[in-house]
Amino acid sequence: MATNDASGKDADSSWVLVVLAWLPVTLPLLWGIWQTVKKAAVLFR
Amino acid sequence: MAGLLSRERTVARPGYNRWLVPPAALAIHLSIGVAYGFSVFWLPLSRAIGITEPVPCHADMGFFEQLITGACDWKISELGWMYTLFFVFLGSSAAVFGPWVERVGPRKTGVVAAVCWSSGFLISALGIHLHQIWLLWLGSGVIGGCGLGLGYISPVSTLIKWFPDRRGMATGMAIMGFGGGAMIGAPLADILMRHFATPTSVGVWQTFVTMGVIYFITMMAGAFGYRVPPPDWKPAGWTPRAKQTSMITAGNVHVSRAWRTPQFWFLWMVLCMNVSAGIGVIGIASPMIQEIFGGRLLGATGTLQQLTPEQKVQLASIGAGFAALLSLSNIAGRIGWASFSDYIGRTRTYLVFFALGFVLYAMAPSAGQTGSVTLFVVLFCVILTMYGGGFATIPAYLADIFGTQYVGAIHGRLLTAWSTAGVLGPVLVNYIREYQIDRGVPTAQAYNVTMYVLAGLLIIGLICNLMVKPVDPRYCMTAEELAAARALQAGQRA
Repeated sequence: MATNDASGKDADSSWVLVVLAWLPVTLPLLWGIWQTVKKAAVLFR
Repeated sequence: MAGLLSRERTVARPGYNRWLVPPAALAIHLSIGVAYGFSVFWLPLSRAIGITEPVPCHADMGFFEQLITGACDWKISELGWMYTLFFVFLGSSAAVFGPWVERVGPRKTGVVAAVCWSSGFLISALGIHLHQIWLLWLGSGVIGGCGLGLGYISPVSTLIKWFPDRRGMATGMAIMGFGGGAMIGAPLADILMRHFATPTSVGVWQTFVTMGVIYFITMMAGAFGYRVPPPDWKPAGWTPRAKQTSMITAGNVHVSRAWRTPQFWFLWMVLCMNVSAGIGVIGIASPMIQEIFGGRLLGATGTLQQLTPEQKVQLASIGAGFAALLSLSNIAGRIGWASFSDYIGRTRTYLVFFALGFVLYAMAPSAGQTGSVTLFVVLFCVILTMYGGGFATIPAYLADIFGTQYVGAIHGRLLTAWSTAGVLGPVLVNYIREYQIDRGVPTAQAYNVTMYVLAGLLIIGLICNLMVKPVDPRYCMTAEELAAARALQAGQRA
């Protein structure tokens, strides 16, 4: 039973939803990584 | 409300995009992952009464009096117990409540985790306001620790069922979040504490309240974002290999039987040895690089003890930078190695961790003696990728060996290895170092024996990994048992 078969308009809208769902977790994570990179940069000065 | 949280309400509709599940898991793991960064609170909390300087307790004040006194400040060693409690209660709650998690599903588990984790923050805020350290231990350590355990295992089973074709990558994404949580939480806490600080307050209790609310909202969003696949769902166009590889079972082992198999205990040792070695290094990373290289890190000569106070401040900053670089390696390893394990297999992945890890730990003293900071930093970055990779690959390894039906609960029981390693690794590293220094070994060389001992732990892990063979079919559930278990999960009478 394969149900990951969204097609056409439904599939497009589901991928928009995927992007919207990933943004609130990706942006803070990238901010956190950036803060850590800045801290780690001291090592290379 | 109970209906809204029930497993049957979370079954995905046809056409549901499985890529919506990892962000829900990440929301939970990024929230609980701040536990790794709690040390950001220790210094401000150690002067919660004195504000600018800690107010020491009278020498004759007893232990219990110090627990409830509002007259003197807490010691960092007392606050550090919160950290120990986190990991003890993470492992024990995951082990005890694992079967319940499998039964009720990820949403109810996520909600309970959110309530425990955020109420831990609120109880701790009250403890700081009233200056009662036992409230911090109870709130963040015990109740928050239970939230950690439940939150950590909540998405594992669900992700593995949604991504049967990429089990390692799926769990790697979530567990990467746990590693990344401190990267967001620690600087956020720092910003909030500076915002709330006044001449009469260090601003920590207000920070705890704010973070408790933020994490509650984030975790609830994650919990309500969880969806479980319908039974026997598989991705479109994907068919399981007609011939199962010998290390990937087609059966399912019940959680109550799994821990009676030798495979469970070999994997327990695999995780424990990998984590003990890595956690030992994390704890000493900052002082280690400063003591080994001393003035060379600043382009000067002399050991750490011979430097000026200004140079020592600069060195501390470099030490913190090294620790930050190791954190980045840790999260890169979580997603990288776990995804790679989908291609080379779980046994080979751990073989690389232990064999390569052994070589790198054994090389570390030589790298220190040659004076090559770059080589030393690269060695430890690779070691830390394998530490993170070990955490992120273990759920997929368990699913390969024991099947997917109870993988979340079995993973929960296996996390007791983490709790054990959380005590074993730092104790081993610290005692060996102190023993060396007491025997007159220069501080720059006091880590050499430690590295060889950690390399020895990896050899034990390597042997245990090689001992993992497919589970005897007599431990697998019968078709009737599996049907009954699924009916129970679906809320039907079996």
